[in-house]
Amino acid sequence: MPRRNGPARRPQRRKDVPHGPGGAPGGSFRCAGCRLDVPLAAPGTAHRNHCPHCLTSLHVDRRVPGDRRADCGGRMVPLSVTVRPDGEWLIIHECRSCGALSANRIAGDDNALALLRVAVRPLSDPRLREDAFLAL
Amino acid sequence: MSEYIPPSVLRTETFDCLRCGLTVTAFAPDGARRNHCPSCLHSRHVHDQVEGGPSECRARMAPIAIAVLRDGRWMIVHRCAGCGELTSSPVSGDDNRLILVRMAVRPLAQPPFPLETFADL
Repeated sequence: MPRRNGPARRPQRRKDVPHGPGGAPGGSFRCAGCRLDVPLAAPGTAHRNHCPHCLTSLHVDRRVPGDRRADCGGRMVPLSVTVRPDGEWLIIHECRSCGALSANRIAGDDNALALLRVAVRPLSDPRLREDAFLAL
Repeated sequence: MSEYIPPSVLRTETFDCLRCGLTVTAFAPDGARRNHCPSCLHSRHVHDQVEGGPSECRARMAPIAIAVLRDGRWMIVHRCAGCGELTSSPVSGDDNRLILVRMAVRPLAQPPFPLETFADL
């Protein structure tokens, strides 16, 4: 199915945030879930914050993406998937240690099977058949 | 003797929905306090999730996603239209099922990759 992209949008802002160990600048980061070494260059996004293989992220930003002011540092797991009006998918992450939520656009090389498993999780709930469709 | 808790029909506290204007009882049928309108599922940003405590934003919060927790409970993820903060709150028994299911199938209706490839797996 072709993407319904509208007119050309503005390019994404570059963010110079440290990704290396101990706050050092680096070209890659280590996934907190599967230990994959993830390069920062990603197709389709300039703001990669999660592992393309297991979609795990790290709680380092507080209010503004890239501010590096969170003192939690916990592991963030994908909670659900939402869609922007223009068709872009966003992953909603939940911090497993403090419960904070954050949203990030998916990248072009994100694991499609992992994304789809998160997306169909509500629909695979057995209780959905009993009450939701009967209520329509 | 334990304290008498009146049934939810006798608790008459209400609030007005910011989006659809529906007058909503503040307590769900199961006795829990609501934080979103059961008809349109919109909410109001009153609690600051990052700092804790009350928020000064008080803007409308739109439902953007459904999340299923590990224990099977459903949560609605709200996004504040004013400041963009995300919150999650549990689904109550009389929430609008049509909007809930519509939010659940919306990602699958606009997939970023062709779903036909999954048939080969």
